[in-house]
Amino acid sequence: MVDVLVVVQKEADASELLTIAKKVGEPVALTYGNSEIEKLTKYFNKVYRIKEDDPNSIFFAIKTLYEKLNPKLVVGMSSKNLKDAYSRLAGIYDLPLATDIFDFNVSGSKVTYKRSFLSGRAIETEEVTMPLLLLVSPRKTQKSEGNSNGSIEELSIGNSSNVVIKERKEKVKGGVNLEAAEFIISVGRGFKNKDDLKLAFDLAELAGAQIGCSRPIAADLKWLTEDHWVGLSGKKVAPKVYLMFGISGAPQHLAGITDAKTVIAVNNDKTAPIFKNADYGIVADLYQFIPILTKKLKERH
Amino acid sequence: MSTLGDIVVLIKPALNPEMIRSLPDGGVDFDNIPLKLSDIDRNAIEEANRLKELLKGKIYSITISTWGPIAKRDKDIKMAIQEGLAKGVDEAILLEDDSITPGDQITTASAIVSILNKFNIKPDIILTGEATIDGFSGQVAGRVAAKLNLPYISFARKIDLNGNKVIAERDLEDYVEVVETQLPAVISVTREINSPKPPTLIQIRMASKKPQHVVKLSDLTNVAMPKKKLAEAKVLSVKRKQTMIEGKSLEEVADKLIEILEQEGVLKH
Repeated sequence: MVDVLVVVQKEADASELLTIAKKVGEPVALTYGNSEIEKLTKYFNKVYRIKEDDPNSIFFAIKTLYEKLNPKLVVGMSSKNLKDAYSRLAGIYDLPLATDIFDFNVSGSKVTYKRSFLSGRAIETEEVTMPLLLLVSPRKTQKSEGNSNGSIEELSIGNSSNVVIKERKEKVKGGVNLEAAEFIISVGRGFKNKDDLKLAFDLAELAGAQIGCSRPIAADLKWLTEDHWVGLSGKKVAPKVYLMFGISGAPQHLAGITDAKTVIAVNNDKTAPIFKNADYGIVADLYQFIPILTKKLKERH
Repeated sequence: MSTLGDIVVLIKPALNPEMIRSLPDGGVDFDNIPLKLSDIDRNAIEEANRLKELLKGKIYSITISTWGPIAKRDKDIKMAIQEGLAKGVDEAILLEDDSITPGDQITTASAIVSILNKFNIKPDIILTGEATIDGFSGQVAGRVAAKLNLPYISFARKIDLNGNKVIAERDLEDYVEVVETQLPAVISVTREINSPKPPTLIQIRMASKKPQHVVKLSDLTNVAMPKKKLAEAKVLSVKRKQTMIEGKSLEEVADKLIEILEQEGVLKH
């Protein structure tokens, strides 16, 4: 008897998903593509594997296992490819699906969970009866120890995909890891030219900060790579200090910094909405202020 | 009756997050948050216009209202649909019914399929935004694709047509994937696919002359009722101190800022 199907690639995710699965019952896992399969067998008694990693193949594999095992819950970590695959299984059987959830609880056949809502401005609690599909927000669930010694079974899904992959292009990365950063200096449209970002980079190097940015800098102007992008569609960050230069404070940007401890904004427009969403505000022209701040920090050494 | 080359855009009047209102107990005051056309659906409409040049068919919009009460929301809902018509949609279909509000994605997807059947629309492409600005769950397009047994391309930031083939770039976390499939297909688009402009006054005036159909649940068959219950919604109150740092000179301000950074423990030396 299987109660939960866990779709997972990495051990770090497996340890959190197991915590959720155990609240419902007995889990098995499905893994795909380039996964940490040997480590996954510590967490599950059975791990099914497909070698493909595109959403069509993942969808066919989940569907095959769903129909075979009839689980109450299909769970995984939120990602774009799993959103794609899960939404299709949900469509076929009119199953409830929720994405980016946390605080999962079970009472009988009823389930509750929370998720971010209204572009990060509210938290909703939903109540639903199993069977259902869930995609979980990473790093918000306690980890479980794995003490299984599971077996691996290859799953063949046949070559039935109607979407053909022609090419994959790795995204250029700026070498930042904003999710782990304690101090982020973030740049916005207040900078007039790409070259002027050097002001912020010099300051960040001196202060030991990583560089973040608002949507226009990464998505529209492409002055920085997407791994610098903070916000609803970019990274969610939780630094001790988030120091912004020339960011006006669009709600989508604020949605990415709700977990920041101290937020500081420098903007030359004293009416900028960001000041209402900052712990400390400084009305100043960044072109004048950053060189002074940099000089002061140098003197401090 | 529909002709070959038609496009359907799925557009949603979504709760406007920028106008969030709070009840005294911290709950979301749903009744006083207005609706607006979900931002990323604007990109879908813009893309539909571009593809129409190649496909030569009509653009239909389909809207399932998910927030009630309808009597109170009707004006916002119609405004959102009007914006679609002003921006190039040729014919709009709307399901308004209090019995399916607040709606869920199960109801929305099954109602979309039901409307396609009722109006006998057989589109070459169904387009929508990757997610809506209120729920941001991004699952309706995939559900519709599965129900219609059509190929699904999610998170497209570029779409090209070549005869009966569609070639698209999917924007994923670590890579961009170029994929190809046959029409008809369902495609969800990201904000990066284009830059929609607001409609002009002339476009808005023209929009009111275009055909619009409002249907009720009783006009449709096989619409699944909502299974999710919204038990609670709390406004996320991130209270910031809102203290302005001032001084006689920028030097003095910089000194005060450095002091704060030291207190927070982020300056290493």
